[in-house]
Amino acid sequence: MKMKRMKKVVGPEYNLSEKIKTNVYAVGVAMQESVYPHTMTVFYPKERKKMPDNYRGFILFDPDKCISCFNCSFVCPANAIRMKEAPNKRYYPTVDYGRCIFCHFCIDSCSSGALKATKIHDVAYKDMDEMFTPTEEMIELPEITREDKKYVEYEIEEDDLHLKRTKGEDYLFVEVPQPKEIPMVSTCIDPDSCIGCRVCAEVCEHSAISASVEDGGTLRMKIDTDECTGCGLCVKECSMQILRLVKK
Amino acid sequence: MTEMINTLMETVMSNQVSIPLIEPMLDSLPEIPMLQYMVAFMLWKPLFALLICPGLTVGGITLLFFPWIERKLCGRAQWRVGPHEIVWWLGGVIQLLADSLRFLFQEVIVHKDAHRPYFLQFPFLSFMIFLLPLLFIPAGTIVAIQTPYAIQIILALVCLFPLFILGLGWASNSRFAYIGTVREAFMYFAYEIPFIMAVIAMIILYKTSDPLLMASRQSIPGIILNPVAALVFFIGAAMATGRMPFEIPDSDQELCAGPHVEYSGIAFGLIYVLCYEKGYILSALMTILFLGGGSGPAIAGLGELSGVFWFVVKTYLVLTTLYMLRAVYPRYRLDQGLKLGWSPMLCLALIGLAISLVEVGVMAI
Repeated sequence: MKMKRMKKVVGPEYNLSEKIKTNVYAVGVAMQESVYPHTMTVFYPKERKKMPDNYRGFILFDPDKCISCFNCSFVCPANAIRMKEAPNKRYYPTVDYGRCIFCHFCIDSCSSGALKATKIHDVAYKDMDEMFTPTEEMIELPEITREDKKYVEYEIEEDDLHLKRTKGEDYLFVEVPQPKEIPMVSTCIDPDSCIGCRVCAEVCEHSAISASVEDGGTLRMKIDTDECTGCGLCVKECSMQILRLVKK
Repeated sequence: MTEMINTLMETVMSNQVSIPLIEPMLDSLPEIPMLQYMVAFMLWKPLFALLICPGLTVGGITLLFFPWIERKLCGRAQWRVGPHEIVWWLGGVIQLLADSLRFLFQEVIVHKDAHRPYFLQFPFLSFMIFLLPLLFIPAGTIVAIQTPYAIQIILALVCLFPLFILGLGWASNSRFAYIGTVREAFMYFAYEIPFIMAVIAMIILYKTSDPLLMASRQSIPGIILNPVAALVFFIGAAMATGRMPFEIPDSDQELCAGPHVEYSGIAFGLIYVLCYEKGYILSALMTILFLGGGSGPAIAGLGELSGVFWFVVKTYLVLTTLYMLRAVYPRYRLDQGLKLGWSPMLCLALIGLAISLVEVGVMAI
C-alpha cells in the first residue's frame, strides 16, 4: 500500500547575521525609547482626557425656555423622563439617571432649546433613589470637587509623526447651535367635526383653549392665539385629530 | 598607650586617599580636637573602600536607587510610566525607600512547615555573604584587602551565592519554593562553567589575577582584546542575577516568586535586593576584567577619587545595560536556558579561551 506523503513543517531558516541585526535593533529601540518615550499615559486623578466636543453627559434644564410640550418625555426610549408639576402649575421634566441611557434624544427633540448637554459624566450617587434628579437639581451644574483641573490631549503631528501633548481647561458645556424658534400656534382645521369633548381645554397648560356655546346650541372651542405657546399637546390629545400646528 | 596610638596613626597616615581638592580643609582640621583623627580614619584606604566606595555608600545608593532606575527605564521603553505616585514631581525616586519602610514594619510570617532557624537566618546570612566580594574589589586604586588572588576569591564567593538561594528554598518547605530551588540549581550548573572559563581567559590574557595590576595592563580595554569572553561573561552575569530574560528560578507567572515565595516583611526586603547586590558585584567584576577598572582621564583636583569616579560610572553603565535586557527580551524556558548555557555559551567560552591563548602567544613573539 502506498503511504500518503506527509507534509513536513519546517521552522524558519537559521540566519546568524539576521539574528544579530534584529537583536541589536531591538536593544537600540529600547535604549531610544527609554530616553524619548512615546508614552501616552494620562495620570488619571490629576489629569483627565479631553472630552469630545459633542459629548453626551449630564442634562441641564432652563425652565424659562421650556414650553411644557412633553416632547422629551414622549421621545425618551428608556422612560427616564417624567413630567412633574411645578408650583407655578406648569409641567417640567425630571430625569431618572438610573434609567437614562444618555441617548440625548430629549435634547434633540426639544423645540425651544430648554435642555442642554454637558460633558459631566462622573456624578456620584449614594443609592438608586438619589439617581432620580428633580427639576431643581437640573437647573445648575452639580457641585464639582476633583483634583484634575486640566485635561490632557495627545495629538500626532503629521510632519514627523511625533506625539504632541497639550494641556488646557475643559469647557464643560456642549455648544450646539440653538434651534431657531419658529412661533407656532394651534388651529382647528375642521370645527364642524368637533365633538366637544373638551380634552384640548383640559390638557392645555396655559388655559389658552376655552369652550363657548354658540347661538344654535353648538359647542365651539376657542383658541386664544396670544396665550398659545405652540406646544402641540392639544394636537396630540385631540380625539378627532382636527387640530394642527401652523406658523403664527 | 600613647605609643600604641602613635603607631596606629602612623599606619593610618601612611596609607591615605589623596584628594588635592580638600587638602586645604584637612590642614585646618588640627584646630578642632578629635575630628582630625576621625577624618584620617575615614581617608585610610581600607576603611574608605569599606565605607565609601565600593562599600557602604555606593553600594547602598545602588541598592536604594537601581531598582527604581530599572523599573523607570523598562517602563519608558515599554511606553509605560514606571514608579510615579510617591514624590510624583521627582518621578517616584524614593519608591524603594517607601517600600523598605513598609517591609520593615510588616510582620515576618514563619509558616508551620518551615525550618524555623534556617528560614529566619538565611536571608540575613545571604545578604552578608553577597557583600563579601566587595572587600576584594578595587575602586581605582583603593581596595580593602589587596591579594594577588583577588579575582579567584571573588569568583569563589560569587559561586557561593546560589548555595544560599538553595538554602532559602529548602528552609521554606513549600512546593513552589522547591521547584524554584531545583531550577536555580539547574541554571547554576548551566552558567557557572562558561562564566568561570571567561574569567580564566582574562586571567591568562593579563597573566595576573591582581585587580590593580589588571587595570594597569589594560591599555586596550579587555572588551576589545577578547570580545567573545566579554559576551560570555555578560550573558553569564545576566543568568546569575536571575533578572528578566533568565528569570527562570523565580518566574512570577508559574511559581509566584520561586525560592522566596514564603517570605514576608524585612526578610523579603533583604531577598528582594539580593539580585541587585549580585548585579552590582558582577558588573563591578566586569568593569575590572573588561573595561579597565578605574582607569580613565584624570579629573583635576580629585586625585585618587577620579579613579573611583570612573569605576562607579563604568559599573553603573554595565548595570543599566544588564537591566535594560528586561525591557527587550521575553523569558527563556528552563530547557532553553539550559541549552543556551551548555551549548552556545560553552562553545563561545572555549573560543574565548583560545583567543586569549593565541594573543598571549603573539605577544610573547
